[in-house]
Amino acid sequence: MKSLLRQTAVLIGLALLPSIGQALYYRDKVSWQTPVAASEMLTLAQARGAADLIWIDARPEEEFERERVPGALLLNEDRWNELLPQVLAIWAPEKRVVVYCSSESCGSSREIAHRLRKEAGLTNVFILEGGWEAWKKEKP
Amino acid sequence: MNIAWRIVAVIIGGLFIYAGVIKVLDPVEFAGDIDNYKTLPWPIGVRLAFYLPWLEILCGLALITRVLYRGGVFILTMLMSVFIIATIVAKTRGLDISCGCFGHASQYLSFAWHLALDFLLLGGLLFLWRTRLPNDGALA
Repeated sequence: MKSLLRQTAVLIGLALLPSIGQALYYRDKVSWQTPVAASEMLTLAQARGAADLIWIDARPEEEFERERVPGALLLNEDRWNELLPQVLAIWAPEKRVVVYCSSESCGSSREIAHRLRKEAGLTNVFILEGGWEAWKKEKP
Repeated sequence: MNIAWRIVAVIIGGLFIYAGVIKVLDPVEFAGDIDNYKTLPWPIGVRLAFYLPWLEILCGLALITRVLYRGGVFILTMLMSVFIIATIVAKTRGLDISCGCFGHASQYLSFAWHLALDFLLLGGLLFLWRTRLPNDGALA
């Protein structure tokens, strides 16, 4: 029993070393207090006043078909490979990409934005603050 | 019996090393996966995202090399149990989660498959737990 506790403690302690090193390496690349850094968010007011936006709807297809931000393109994890080309076809470096999902708490917009940056290499990718709920509430 | 035990230890150890490496390569995405469970606040989840993959790798290595073996089996059994409970709770809360266990490769698995694999791994760990080493009790 004593040996088990000692081994467990050693492993727990050893794992701290590389994780602290990696966290230090990532310290400026990660938002430590909130899921999305403020610089990666776009409010509805900011989005409305901007030109050259590409809206990405990261919700399930049924919800997208029911109602969406005008001109939005569907892109979700289920059909990523199939739907990504249509986004890439209209993307340009000067355009801003705004991703939204159902609400503030849903994670799919964050995941899609992350994949757009990392896998598709897109820049100027933002997340709509409040998601679709915010859009519906403040619809003109 | 001894050969069966070695094979199971190498397979499970290898799986956890693979799962850990995938997550080490993209801790931000893993932090998002943890956040999707809506169980831990982001500041804790993001720190765990930097720590847990290294713990998985070290425990996987412990299983394969038989160094700190008991501690490795114990930690992985605890991690697996917590993960299974969290997955079931998330499902009952209606959360659509990607476990993030094996990166994007695992997101296309259904919930039933996820759970079956998890229980298989847990079963394997319990099998290893019951197996005595020739020098059981030693640190290495």
